[in-house]
Amino acid sequence: MNILLQNLINGLTLGSIYSLVALGLTLVYGILHIPNFAHGALYMVGAFMTYFFMVDLGAHYWIAMLGSGAVVAALGVLCERLVFHPLRHSPPIHDKIAAIGILLFLEALVQMLWGADFRRMSSPFTGVMNIQGLIIPEQRALIIAGAAVLVVGLQLFLRRTMTGSTILAMAQNREGAFLVGIDANRVAMMTFAISGMLAAFAATLYAPINLVYPAMGHLVIMKAFVIIIIGGMGSIPGAVIGGMIIGFTEALGGFYLSNDYKDVIAFALLVVILSIRPQGLFTKGAH
Amino acid sequence: MLQLNNVDVCYGSFKAISDISMSVESGELVVLLGANGAGKSSLFNAISGLIRPSAGQIEFEGQRLSGLKPSGIVSAGVVQCAEGRKLFPQMSVMQNLMMGAYVHRRDKAGNRRHLEEVFELFPILREKSDELASALSGGQQQMVAIGRALMSRPRLLMLDEPSLGLAPLVVRQMFDTIQQINSLGTTVLLAEQNAYAALKIASRAYVMEGGQLVMEGDRETMLNNDEVRKAYIGA
Repeated sequence: MNILLQNLINGLTLGSIYSLVALGLTLVYGILHIPNFAHGALYMVGAFMTYFFMVDLGAHYWIAMLGSGAVVAALGVLCERLVFHPLRHSPPIHDKIAAIGILLFLEALVQMLWGADFRRMSSPFTGVMNIQGLIIPEQRALIIAGAAVLVVGLQLFLRRTMTGSTILAMAQNREGAFLVGIDANRVAMMTFAISGMLAAFAATLYAPINLVYPAMGHLVIMKAFVIIIIGGMGSIPGAVIGGMIIGFTEALGGFYLSNDYKDVIAFALLVVILSIRPQGLFTKGAH
Repeated sequence: MLQLNNVDVCYGSFKAISDISMSVESGELVVLLGANGAGKSSLFNAISGLIRPSAGQIEFEGQRLSGLKPSGIVSAGVVQCAEGRKLFPQMSVMQNLMMGAYVHRRDKAGNRRHLEEVFELFPILREKSDELASALSGGQQQMVAIGRALMSRPRLLMLDEPSLGLAPLVVRQMFDTIQQINSLGTTVLLAEQNAYAALKIASRAYVMEGGQLVMEGDRETMLNNDEVRKAYIGA
């Protein structure tokens, strides 16, 4: 019983991180209708920025997280302005190629500045909580709580504020959004900023129980793609629930089946779900 | 109020609209007749700034619209209720209406007042305000679309085929409502294929064919014109 609970906690941790990354990806997809392959690189840059702020500048973990969020949000806006905005009238394949270009560029840049080594990033939350025999490291609890706060905060922003609603409006009907006077550029920049910030927060939360290295975004972004395909491209609840499905499957599958194959399980699940529901779990008329 | 001078619109090498000059005066209800593909929607989208005219000028109350962004044109007071409604399907009726007030989002009191006016015009929307826009019937969705456009506080409201796909009874109510909106002080430019019903409420009309204006005149002239009768009224 305790082992099962332990694994569920691990699944929740993984799922929280995946959900945050997938949320950013699905938001950008909803607006631009392109899969942003560079999103994994933003995640990786987020981890390095936090590392830089903490280790090189000696900032506190929270300050470093905020700083990293701001830098990666700005980087997202920069990508939109310099790369995706000029390509808005081009065929979609150009955006995809450009996104891969950004990915390769950012990885090479980080490797040039910090090298290809694996780095350890320590957070101030190294303790362990013991709740009636259930062992929860503080960092894992922080990931779960942090992700929950971010997901709820994002929902409130999107559904309750006029500014946030413009993102949903643009995703649901682009021309309708123009006709009520919503500025496409503002929405695109805002979406990239939020997406980048979520990636940086996810990376900062996860890095202390993982490692920081230039290729750290690869597997995460692959899984984020699996998640938004399972959840339905552009669907926000789909990204959260898809993230949890992958997180739990990986944690439980890794323990009960085989730890070596835990990364394969996500992709096997993708094949199974898509053969039953090809449009994804949460796709509605809008997409 | 609205003045178009020699406007051309091209999609690549295809000229959708050529050399259109027309005007709408304050307080009028002007109808734009034309078959499918005559270029009515292209003209509307050019006025709304969704497509850029390749030649000519569009002016609204002396201000040049060509070159403004769609958001700037809505702020200037020219609002389009597009063909196909273009609602936000996963938002509630209320949210759709409030998105219409986007350019006036700081004026909360004014928006509440306009929302009341929309609900008076379409009482059914008050009952359905929490339902998803996509769950409504076609006629009700059209009401949401017009209501959303009204929330943008138009001085010129452009309606693109609001009767499309609606049941005959609903169509009649729709035209009554449009006339009512006009009589309350909003200038209306109405694109229609339903010529007889549209002309009955119009002050003037233009006829478009193959991207050009081929005829214009006041209501009586148009209703009695043999070509218009043959082409659009079928009598």
